[in-house]
Amino acid sequence: MKPKVAFFDFAGCEGDQLQVANLEENLLDLLGQVEVVSFREVMKEHSDNYDIAFVEGSCTRLQDEDRLKQIRKNAKLVVAIGSCAAIGGINSLKNYKDLDQVKKTVYGEHAALFDSYSARPIDAIIPVDAYVYGCPIDREDFLQVVKSLLLGKKPETPTYPVCVECKKNENVCAFERGQFCVGPVTRAGCNSCCVNEGTICWGCRGLIDNPNENSQKEVLIKNGLTVDDAIGKFRLYFGWQEAKR
Amino acid sequence: MKIISKEDFQSFVNALIQEDSWNVIGVKSRGNKFAFAPLDSADELHLDYDVTLLPPKKYFFPQRETLFTYDISNGFSAKNPEETKPMIIIGVHPYDIIALLHMDEIFRETKSDSFYFKKRESSIIIGVNIQKMSKYNFSSYMGCATVDYGYDLMITDLGNRYAINVGSQKGEDLLSKYAKNVTLALARDVQTAGQKKRGIMNQSEQEFKFPPELIPELLKDSYVKSGFWEKHSEKCLACGSCVLVCPTCYCFDVKDNPDLSLEHGERIRTWDGCLLEDFAKIASGENFRATRPTRYRHRYFKKGKYLFDRFGFVSCVGCGRCSSNCLPDIANPVNLFNDMYQESQNAGAQFATSIQPDVNIKTEGNIDYVPKLATIIKKVPMTASETLFEVKLEDGVELGHKPGQFVEVSIFGIGEAPISISSSPTKKETFELCVRKLGNVTTKLHKLNVGDRIGIRGPFGNGFDAESLKGKDLLFVAGGLGIAPLRSLFNYVLDNRKDYGKVFLLYGCKEPKEILFGEELLSLASREDVEFKSAVNWCPENETWTGSIGVITTLIPQVSFDPEKTIAVLCGPPVMYKFVIADLKGRNVPDDHIIMSLERRMKCGVGKCGHCQINHIYVCKDGPVFNYSKIKGVPEAL
Ligand SMILES: Cc1cc2nc3c(=O)[nH]c(=O)nc-3n(C[C@H](O)[C@H](O)[C@H](O)COP(=O)(O)OP(=O)(O)OC[C@H]3O[C@@H](n4cnc5c(N)ncnc54)[C@H](O)[C@@H]3O)c2cc1C
Ligand code: SF4
Ligand code: SF4
Ligand code: SF4
Ligand code: SF4
Ligand code: SF4
Ligand code: FES
Repeated sequence: MKPKVAFFDFAGCEGDQLQVANLEENLLDLLGQVEVVSFREVMKEHSDNYDIAFVEGSCTRLQDEDRLKQIRKNAKLVVAIGSCAAIGGINSLKNYKDLDQVKKTVYGEHAALFDSYSARPIDAIIPVDAYVYGCPIDREDFLQVVKSLLLGKKPETPTYPVCVECKKNENVCAFERGQFCVGPVTRAGCNSCCVNEGTICWGCRGLIDNPNENSQKEVLIKNGLTVDDAIGKFRLYFGWQEAKR
Repeated sequence: MKIISKEDFQSFVNALIQEDSWNVIGVKSRGNKFAFAPLDSADELHLDYDVTLLPPKKYFFPQRETLFTYDISNGFSAKNPEETKPMIIIGVHPYDIIALLHMDEIFRETKSDSFYFKKRESSIIIGVNIQKMSKYNFSSYMGCATVDYGYDLMITDLGNRYAINVGSQKGEDLLSKYAKNVTLALARDVQTAGQKKRGIMNQSEQEFKFPPELIPELLKDSYVKSGFWEKHSEKCLACGSCVLVCPTCYCFDVKDNPDLSLEHGERIRTWDGCLLEDFAKIASGENFRATRPTRYRHRYFKKGKYLFDRFGFVSCVGCGRCSSNCLPDIANPVNLFNDMYQESQNAGAQFATSIQPDVNIKTEGNIDYVPKLATIIKKVPMTASETLFEVKLEDGVELGHKPGQFVEVSIFGIGEAPISISSSPTKKETFELCVRKLGNVTTKLHKLNVGDRIGIRGPFGNGFDAESLKGKDLLFVAGGLGIAPLRSLFNYVLDNRKDYGKVFLLYGCKEPKEILFGEELLSLASREDVEFKSAVNWCPENETWTGSIGVITTLIPQVSFDPEKTIAVLCGPPVMYKFVIADLKGRNVPDDHIIMSLERRMKCGVGKCGHCQINHIYVCKDGPVFNYSKIKGVPEAL
């Protein structure tokens, strides 16, 4: 019996589900192993009978909580996919601003009709069994996690930072190019893909478990970033994690 | 020495590139840096580079390497990966050549790593003397700025021509077959080349305040140095850059990479590093180097002391890559050792030249990363989380183990885990493994059934020396799962009972339902020739327990033994040792009468991957059995 899988979205851009839909030849192999019963991105049908729930997007409203709890009840395994679901992601940028101000900017005069609270990852509401980090997720990384789950194994999520992959890929470090990078505190697993393309790591996979934040900020400032910009670098993706630490 | 014009050298390189039988690799530019990469034309070569991002070691010990591919769709088969083409590597600096010589010894010791040596032996190294030294380079201090050995050809830039030193027959042949207009060097060429080399020696911008030969001596008393390691590592990001770029670092991780069929896949090894957080962490959650200062210190000790004790070299060639890649700028060995030297001087320490250790490198055969196939023939659940597996190797092969040795158990697609052999060697056709469900491999193992197949490598480790224990009284002290490895010796002793003196077994667990081998232990009660005592930390009210209540040490006063005639054999969780040893010392047991089996994270099982290291000791091959007298001074051991 192939395990049944379902995809759900909350506050996010659906970019992660798009990554899954775009798995190309691997998608067929994947469909050989699982049966997709719900996936708004590619099909109309929906079923509540599933084993693995892939959840995208962060929880930003009280109503989301009930839906998440229902998913948890239905599924044997819940997997958070993408930064929004896994670490709060870019949505948590708004947590730094006054909430009412945010509502006004987003919804204008109808703000009072929407109840929104600070953005949070889904594990702030329900227990999560596995994480696929990234904004968007890396297809190869997604497949690694899926394969692990199918084999009954806990996915081997790196606890080390992006620099490890970056060094193995023999990139010229962003700092050597006069740019600023948060790779040293960001969880690896993307194969340092952004730096491989000649840019920097923005931190989309979130902080490692034990980041040395002070040292990282000092490195950014020593290399010429202002204190505010250094703090901004941390806020882009690490908002929820930083607030928790 | 030979001479070739720069033009003819270009043609020589292009002629090599034309040949199909090898890959030609050289130093090319990458951004504003340099890297070794395949050459399409001699024009791409930058022989005047300062340093490459990664050392050429990546061609012999790649970032990611397939150990074998497996197929479990129909029985099982494992294949070694296809061999790669020989390589010609052009532009290797002397310090990187010497670093490869370091790697040779590391990969050769005990068992030879054929993956590494196949590539190494088929390759040709064309070295080049340093022309521009990187700002962080201190190879001259390490004796590695120039080199007379370890290359096939070595080039020195003399302006409009190159001087070539021939280092091997292979190099000679290459030159005579592919190079034109090679002449013998004249006196002036030899002299100019000599001057160039001298120039290199004086180029370093780094400065050691003392002769680096003293590093091992300096480190000897610096393991515990109040605040020193904490202070120096305060900014450490645990990013691993310093070890990943190092030409003499060799640690690796091993994992399985199944494809989406889940039936085929590969086992790979990838670079790892001791600065990374989980490097020494085990499934129970214990991390033997949990903090940044301890990991930071480990690297310096590894480079400056541990490998020196083993091989007689300080494992640093002074390339300066670690220094230039460390963003908070704390990885520069020159700065750290200078600071350490200064502090020690201030404290009035005197340093004599360091003693050369006894280096005795033995190699017996090759490492086999492909497991032997085995079948589970019996599965006996023992507690909620422990199960005893009886295993038989395919084709009636005997494991042939010693008591106290271990095997690496494979489940393809999941990985490998070291497990002690729990049965006595007197039982030959099969062997037993008592496994606790903790992480991936062990949990999956628990789901397998009789008839299912697993992979076995080994036996590994030194094991107990049952011969030398003959005639002695034996006091076995086991805590929890520690009974598993001890049982192999205990049962061996019972099978050869007349060879041994008195036998005591003290066994402690958390609570009665965690007792392992309960029936076997019960049967000991009726034996006259074994004194058996057991204790549990606590017993729930609804259960009965006739043994003692308390930690294992409550049992020690209950037995009377002659410390001079008795050997204590210990195995248990890490916390147990300290207390048991203290009590045994209180009973006047001499240090060398205490032996124990230790646990550490393991990957290779054969002394290569670096994971199991306790200071300079490799648990997988120097242990897991240790005599207390040998490790009591080893700070990370207990
Ligand atoms: C010499 C020796 C003998 C052992 N004997 C036994 C035994 O008889 N019975 C038993 O149940 N356990 C034994 N262990 C512990 C056992 O090896 C670990 O519980 C096991 O490796 C966990 O693997 P996992 O894949 O289930 O866990 P995961 O957490 O998924 O671990 C991943 C990998 O990390 C490494 N690792 C994790 N924990 C350990 C560890 N404790 N020791 C070494 N490597 C580790 C392994 O390579 C493992 O596959 C022994 C360990 C050593 C070193
Ligand atoms: S570019 Fe970023 S990730 Fe790469 S080594 Fe530099 S800091 Fe680390
Ligand atoms: S390099 Fe950084 S920003 Fe890019 S995918 Fe990886 S974690 Fe995200
Ligand atoms: S010493 Fe420097 S390079 Fe090494 S892990 Fe620490 S921060 Fe990274
Ligand atoms: S420790 Fe640093 S300087 Fe020494 S060989 Fe390694 S990278 Fe080079
Ligand atoms: S243990 Fe030694 S070889 Fe391994 S990474 Fe650390 S310094 Fe390098
Ligand atoms: S060195 Fe690899 S397990 Fe010991």
